[in-house]
Amino acid sequence: MAEHHLLEVRDLSTHFFTHAGVVKAVNGVSFTLDRKETLGIVGESGSGKTVAALSLMRLVPDPPGKVVEGSLMLGTRDLRTLSDEEMRQVRGNDIAMIFQDPMTSLNPVVKVGKQIAEAITLHQDKSKGEAWKMAADLLARVGIPDAPARVNQYPFEFSGGMRQRAMIAMAISCNPDILIADEPTTALDVTIQAQIIEVIEEMQQRYESGVILITHDLGVVAEIADKVMVMYGGRTVEYGGIDEIFYNPHHPYTWGLLGSLPRLDEVEKTRLTPIKGQPPDLITLAAGCPFAARCTYVRAECRDRWPALEIVGPEHGLNCWIPREERLQLRGGLAHFREHVA
Amino acid sequence: MSLLEVKDLKKHFPIKSGILKRTTGYVYAVDGISFAVEKGETLGLVGESGCGKSTTGRSVLRLIAPTAGTIVFEDVDVMAASRSDMQTLRRDMQIIFQDPYASLNPRMRVRNIIGESLKIHNIGTEAERKKRVFELLETVGLSVEHAERYPHEFSGGQRQRIGIARALALNPKLIICDEPVSALDVSIRAQVINLLEDLQDEFDLTYMVIAHDLSVVKHISDRVAVMYLGKIVEISDSAVLYDFPQHPYTEALLSAVPIPDPTTERARRRIILEGDVPSPANPPKGCVFHPRCPRAQEICTTAMPTLSSTGGDAGQRHEVACYFPARFTDGVRTVPNQPFDGALARSDD
Repeated sequence: MAEHHLLEVRDLSTHFFTHAGVVKAVNGVSFTLDRKETLGIVGESGSGKTVAALSLMRLVPDPPGKVVEGSLMLGTRDLRTLSDEEMRQVRGNDIAMIFQDPMTSLNPVVKVGKQIAEAITLHQDKSKGEAWKMAADLLARVGIPDAPARVNQYPFEFSGGMRQRAMIAMAISCNPDILIADEPTTALDVTIQAQIIEVIEEMQQRYESGVILITHDLGVVAEIADKVMVMYGGRTVEYGGIDEIFYNPHHPYTWGLLGSLPRLDEVEKTRLTPIKGQPPDLITLAAGCPFAARCTYVRAECRDRWPALEIVGPEHGLNCWIPREERLQLRGGLAHFREHVA
Repeated sequence: MSLLEVKDLKKHFPIKSGILKRTTGYVYAVDGISFAVEKGETLGLVGESGCGKSTTGRSVLRLIAPTAGTIVFEDVDVMAASRSDMQTLRRDMQIIFQDPYASLNPRMRVRNIIGESLKIHNIGTEAERKKRVFELLETVGLSVEHAERYPHEFSGGQRQRIGIARALALNPKLIICDEPVSALDVSIRAQVINLLEDLQDEFDLTYMVIAHDLSVVKHISDRVAVMYLGKIVEISDSAVLYDFPQHPYTEALLSAVPIPDPTTERARRRIILEGDVPSPANPPKGCVFHPRCPRAQEICTTAMPTLSSTGGDAGQRHEVACYFPARFTDGVRTVPNQPFDGALARSDD
C-alpha cells in the first residue's frame, strides 16, 4: 500500500456566493502535512488562509460558502464525503483548531473546566468526574498555575494568554493528529506570544501531531514552521521548505513580503521596500494572477491566465509567468536579498 | 532645549464602585515618568498592553487630564494652559490613531475630515482650505479625486493615510503616532512607515511613536523608552538598546520578538517570562517588575529603582531603572551582584 500523508489537500476551491458576486476565497490550493511537521500558511488579510482551514474542518458557513472542488484526504478518508455525524467525530478527535481571538472563542458564562470537560465527554467514553479531572490535568499541562482551582473559574477571570492556553488545552484534549492554529498569538503581547508558541511546540512533540499555523507574521513562521505556503488572493503563489522560502524565494510576492519587514536585528537602518498598491478585491479578481495588479514585474500574460505550477527544487514550487533565469536576475537586483542569497 | 519635556507625569484613573460611585482605588496607568523629546527626533515608546504607553501619549496632548507632573512644550507649560491656549498649542501637537476604521467619522467626506482643523483654527478662505486639502492628499500618496469620498470607500492603509493628512493639516511640530501601523497588513505597513519617514524629512517633524511591535519601533525611532506597568524601565538610543539591553525586562522583550530569519531563530535563546503582567490597579511594591524578574533580590521589593546611566559601552544616554542591570565594558557583559549605586538614588524626595 502506498504511504499516505497525514493530510493531503488537492485543488481545494472554496467560493462564497454573495449578492455582489462570487468570491473565490480559496482557488485551487494543494498541500500535504505529515506527523511532527509544522506547515505555516502565510498571507495577508483576504488571502484565503483562514477559509482554507475552515474548509478542512468543514466549518465554512453554507450558504453562502461552499467547497466547490478538491479532495481533502485525511489518511485514506476524504473529508468531503463524510456525513455530518462522521465529521463531528473527526473534529476534535482527528483535527482540532484554535482561533485567533481567545476572548470570543470561549463561552463567557460557562466555567473553563466545564468547557474543556464538555469536549472530552463528547469524544471519549469518560464520566463527568473523570472528564473534569482530565480538564484540570490539561490546564496544568499547558502551563496554567493552580489548575485545580482554575477549572472552577470563568473566562473573564483568565488573562488573554491564559485563555489561549485554555483553548489549546481544549484542542489537545482528545489527542488530535492535526492541530490548526489560526493566528494563535496575534491578539497577544510578545512575551505571552513566546509562552504560547512554546506550549504549541511542546504539545506537538508530545503527541507527534501535525500543526498548521496560519499567520501573517513571518517571524513566527521562521521560528516554528518546517515548510511554508504563501497565499495571495485565494491562490498559493509559492510553497517550499522554510529555508527555501526565506533564502531562495522565487515569487515576487514573497520577495515583497520579506522586503516589507522591519527587522529587530538590522544593524544599519535600511529603508523598507513595500509592495505597492492595495490588497485585492476578491470579487473583481480577474482570471490571471491575483498579484498582477501590484507586481512590479507584471507582463501581459499575467493578467489573462494563471501560470502553471513550476517546480524549482525538492518540495519547492511556485506559479509565476516570469521565466526562471529572468527571475533570479531580478531577485539579484533587490537590495534586501543580497545578504542572504548566494 | 528639548521640544517636549515631561517630568514625573502621573495618570491615576479612579476606580469607582457602589451606588454612590465612591472611589475605591486607582489604576496607576502612568506612575511618575520623565523623558524629553528633542526637535527632529523620533522617540519610541514600547511596552505590552496596559503598560501606560497610550495614556502617556494622550496625557501629553492633554486629551486626558494628567494627575500630576509637568509637561513643557517649547517653553510653554502645557499643564497650566487655559482652554484657548490649549487650542493654540494643539496646532503644534497632533496625533495619529491606531484604528483607521474608528478614528475617521464615517459620515464625513475626506475633504471635511482633513480640512476640519483648518476651519476650527480659522485658517485661510474656503478656496485656500480646499487647495490645502488637495495638497495634503497628494503629500500622503492619495489623489485629488479622493476628496469627495467617504471613509468606507478606502482600504485600511488608505484610511491611515487620511489620518496622517489630517494630522499634518496644521503644520504641527510634534506628532504623536499611537500604534500607527499595527492594524495594517504587512505590505501596507511598510508603505506607511516609509511615508512617516519621508514626511519627517520633508516637514522637519518630531515624532513620538507608541507601539507594541519592537521591530517597528526600533526601525523608525532614534531613541526608545521601554515601559512596564506605568514606569519607564529603560531608555536609550535604539541601536544601543538592541545590542546592550540592561534591564531584564528589556532583555526578555527583545528575545521574545520573532525574527523573520530561520537561521537566526534556530540560534536564538528565548527568555520566557513566567506569568502575566500584574494589574496596574495593584502594582507590586518596590520595583514593579520584581515578581517576574529572574534577577530579583531582597532590595528589589523595597522601592522602585531610579532611572540612571551605568556608563560603560552603553554610554550616558542609556538609562536603566534596575538594581542589578547588565553592564557592558569593552563588549563584555556582566551582571554584578552588588546593587547598582545609581538605582539607589532617591528621586522622589
